[in-house]
Amino acid sequence: MNTEQIIREAMYQVAEISDCQLMEPIREDTVLLQSGLDSLGFAMLVAQLEEDLGIDPFTEMAIPVYPNTFGEFVRIYQQYAEQSQDGQ
Amino acid sequence: MNKLVVLTGASRGLGLAIAEQLLQQNYQVLAIARSQSEALKQLAQSCSERLDFMPADLGQLDALPDLCHAIIKQYGRPYALINNAAVGHDGVLATLHNSQISELLNLNLQAPILMSKYLLRSMLLNRAGRIVNISSIVAKTGFNGLSVYAASKAGLEGFSRSLAREAGKGGVTVNCVAPGYMETEMTSALKGEKLESVKRRSAIGRLATPEDAAAMVAYLLSEQASAITGTVMTVDGGSTA
Repeated sequence: MNTEQIIREAMYQVAEISDCQLMEPIREDTVLLQSGLDSLGFAMLVAQLEEDLGIDPFTEMAIPVYPNTFGEFVRIYQQYAEQSQDGQ
Repeated sequence: MNKLVVLTGASRGLGLAIAEQLLQQNYQVLAIARSQSEALKQLAQSCSERLDFMPADLGQLDALPDLCHAIIKQYGRPYALINNAAVGHDGVLATLHNSQISELLNLNLQAPILMSKYLLRSMLLNRAGRIVNISSIVAKTGFNGLSVYAASKAGLEGFSRSLAREAGKGGVTVNCVAPGYMETEMTSALKGEKLESVKRRSAIGRLATPEDAAAMVAYLLSEQASAITGTVMTVDGGSTA
C-alpha cells in the first residue's frame, strides 16, 4: 500500500472506532473538517498513522502547518515518509 | 494481559508508593525516572515480570516525543499515565535564579503536558484510559517560598480540567490528586515547629502519607472511577478543610 492508501485505510479505521460517519468519497480537495472526522478523530488518526508509518510529521515539522484538504494532508505524510526513508 | 501504567518520578517518595500499590493490584508498571533508586531495584526484584524501568530526564522536553514513541513501540498502548515527577525548589521568588524557575516549570508543567499529549493519543485509539496528574494543596493555598511550585501545580489543575473535556468522549479520564504535606524527601526541609504546626492544623492530627495519596491514584485508575474526570482529589488529612 502507498502512503495515500494507508491514510485512507486509517481514516476508515478511526471513523469506525470513534463513531464518525466519513463523507463519501474522500477526494483530494475534500476539506478535512468536512470529511466527517472531528478534532478528536484527527488526533486518533495521527496516532494511528504514527503506529502504521512510524512518523508524526506534525511533531517533526519546525513550524506548525495545518493542512486544509485531504490532498494537503497526504502530501505532508508523503514528504516526511520520503525524508524518513532517505534518512535510513 | 495486565494493564500498562506509565509512572513518572517512580524512584522515590510518592512515586514509589504508587508503584508498590499498582503492582499489588496487578498492573504492569513502566517506571520512569532519571536513575533507578535502590528501593525501586528492590521492588523490581520482588515482581520483575510486571515492573520495568526506563531512564529519562523529563526536563529534556525535546526528547519526550521520542520517549513516548519508544514506550508505545516497546510496550504497546498504555492504559494510564501518572505524571508524578516534579521538583520543589524552596526559595523566595525575589532571589530564585531564573534557570531554576525554568527548570521547575519545564519538569512540573510542560513535561506532563507533553507526556499527556503523546500518550493520550494511544489511549484514544483504545477508547479507554486514565491520566492522573499529581498536584498539591499548594495549588490552592499559599505557602511562603513555594510560589513557582504553586504556579506549576495550579497550572496542572487547569490543564487537567480542560483536557478532561477534550478526552472524555474518547473514554479517557483526566484528574489530579493533590496531596498535602507528606514526609518525603521533597518536603524534608519542613522540620521542627513548622512541621508540628502543619500536623496540628490537619483535621486528623497527622500528615497524610504517600500510601494514602497512592491509594487515591489507584482508585482513579479503577473501573469504579470511570465517571470521575476533570476534578482534583485532595488527600491531606483535612489540612485544608
